[in-house]
Amino acid sequence: MLFPTLDFLLFFLVMAAALAALDGRFAAKKAVLVAASYFFYAQWDWRFCFLLAGSTAISYIAGLLIGASHNPARRRVVLSIGIALHLIILGTFKYLDFLVLSANQLAHMLGLEHELPFFEVLLPVGISFFTFHGISYITDVYRGDVAMCRQPLDMALYMSFFPQLVAGPIVRAAYFLPQLARPSGEPIPVVAALMLIVGGMVKKVIIANYLATGLVDPVFAAPDNYGAPDLLLATYGYAVQIYCDFSAYTDIAIAVAALCGFRFPRNFNQPYRAQRLREFWQRWHISLSTWLRDYLYKPLGGNRYGRLNTYRNLMITMLLGGIWHGAAWKFVMWGALHGGGLAFERMSQPWLGQRPVSLVGRVVSWLIVFHFVCFAWIFFRAEDFTVASVFIRRLASGWNEPMQQAQPAMVALIAIGIAGQFLPPGSFERVGLALARVPYWGLGAATGIILAAINALGPEGIAPFIYFRF
Amino acid sequence: MALTRSERAPLVTDAIPPALRRRGITQRQVFVTCLVGALMVAVFASRDTPGWAERLGDTRLDHELRSIAGAWDETMERWGLTAPHESLRDAIHRALDWQWSADTR
Repeated sequence: MLFPTLDFLLFFLVMAAALAALDGRFAAKKAVLVAASYFFYAQWDWRFCFLLAGSTAISYIAGLLIGASHNPARRRVVLSIGIALHLIILGTFKYLDFLVLSANQLAHMLGLEHELPFFEVLLPVGISFFTFHGISYITDVYRGDVAMCRQPLDMALYMSFFPQLVAGPIVRAAYFLPQLARPSGEPIPVVAALMLIVGGMVKKVIIANYLATGLVDPVFAAPDNYGAPDLLLATYGYAVQIYCDFSAYTDIAIAVAALCGFRFPRNFNQPYRAQRLREFWQRWHISLSTWLRDYLYKPLGGNRYGRLNTYRNLMITMLLGGIWHGAAWKFVMWGALHGGGLAFERMSQPWLGQRPVSLVGRVVSWLIVFHFVCFAWIFFRAEDFTVASVFIRRLASGWNEPMQQAQPAMVALIAIGIAGQFLPPGSFERVGLALARVPYWGLGAATGIILAAINALGPEGIAPFIYFRF
Repeated sequence: MALTRSERAPLVTDAIPPALRRRGITQRQVFVTCLVGALMVAVFASRDTPGWAERLGDTRLDHELRSIAGAWDETMERWGLTAPHESLRDAIHRALDWQWSADTR
C-alpha cells in the first residue's frame, strides 16, 4: 500500500475515524495503531508480519533482561546476543545470496569448481529500518539513554508504527517511547501536516515519477545509446529524483504520524545546498546519518584517537552505510566514495577551513560538493559496475551527440528540484502561519482539490518509493 | 568504548516548527478534515476511480464497487466536474511533448 494511492486514502480515513472515536482512550488508540500497522505491512506479504513480530519480541525481551540486570557482564552478553540476533535476521534476508554470489565469484577466480547454492530469499520490505529500530532500542537501554519498555504494546507500536515502517525515518526509542507513556494532550498541527502531504505528493507524483520514467530510467538502462548531455542531465535528474522520492516519503510519514498525534524527527534539510560533504550528511537522511554516527562512528572511536584512526572510522562507517542500502558492490563503492570524500575533506580542513567565506568560495564549494554527490549517485543508480563504467566513459567522451531524453520538461523538473534547495529557511513556517487562519474544514477541502490536481498531473500509476527496497 | 551522555545524545529536531505545533486541532476535527479532503478527491479525481476499482479482486463486493465507481465517474462527468482533471492532463502532456527543436511539434 503506497502513500499516494486511493487505497491509502481509504485506509487512513478509517484510521482517522477510529482515532477520533477513541479520543481519550490512549491504550485502545495504541492497540488500534498496532493492528493497523500490521494490516498495512501485510499488504506487501502477510508472512513478513511474523518477522516483524519476531524482531519486536527480540528487542522487548533483550530490553527487559538488560534493564532488569545490575550485572555489567550479563548486560553486555544480552546486548551482544540481541544485536547478533537482529543482524542474523537482516543478514539472512538481505545479504545471504549476495555473500553466496561473492563466494562463488571468488571461488571461480581461484579456479575452484564447487559452487554454493543460492537460497533466493525474498527481501522483506523495510527490514533494514525495523532492524535499526531494534538495535538502537536495546543499545540505548544498555547505555542508560532510555528506560526499558515494560509494555509489550508500546514496544510493538515503536517497532511497527506504519508511517515509518517501510522507509523510515529511523525514529529512536528515546524519541518515540516517551510519547507512548502518556497522551501528549497537544493539538494536532494540521496545517503543517497538510502542507507536508501536498509538498510530498508534488515531489513524488510529479517530479520524481516523471524524471524516472522520462529521463533517468531509459538513460541508465542503456547509457551507450545516449550522448554525454543526456547522461549528465540523467545524473542531475537522478540526484533530484532520489531526493524528491525519499524526502516525499518521509514528509508524508511525518505528516501522517502528526495526524495520529505523534512527533517524528526531521529527516532532510535541503541537502543539495551543502558546501561541504560533511554538511551534506548533516542534511541528507539525517535519521540514518545520526544513527551511524551514534552507533558506529563514535563507538569505533570517532575522531578521538588521531587523524589516521578518524579517517579509518569514517571509511568503515560509510562503507557499512553503503552496504546497508543493498547487497551489492555498487553500494560499497558509493559508501567508499563518501567515506573517502569525508576523510579527504577532514584532511584538507587546515587549508580549506570549516566553511568558505567569500561568495566565489561558497559557489565553488557548492559546485564541487554537488557534483561529487552526483558522481557517487551514478554507482548508486546504475544496475551494476559495468553499467556505471560505461556511463562514466560515455559521460567523458560523447559530447557531440544530440539530446534525446533530456527535453525541456525534464530540464525544468531538474531546475525546480534544485531551486527548491535554496528556498530561504523558515519559508515553510511562514506559509504555514499564513494558512493557519483558514478553518480546518477549508484546509481539508483545499488539500483534497490540490491532491486531485496532482493526481491529474502525475503519470498513470505510481512507482514504488526507491527506499522501499532498502 | 565509554562515551559521555552528552556525546551520545542524538541531535534530533522535531520535523514540525514549534509555531505550527501550537496551532492545532482535535482528533475529531482531524477526521472531519480528512473526510472533507477525501470527498474532494472523490469528486475531482473521479476519472481515476474506475481504474482503481478494476485493480480490486474478484469478489461480489469488488464487482459492486466497480459498478459504483463507473456510475460515480459518469455522474461527475455529467455535472462537468471532470473537466479540470482532463484540462490538467492535457496541459501536462503538452508540456512533456515539448521538444527543443521547433519542427518536432
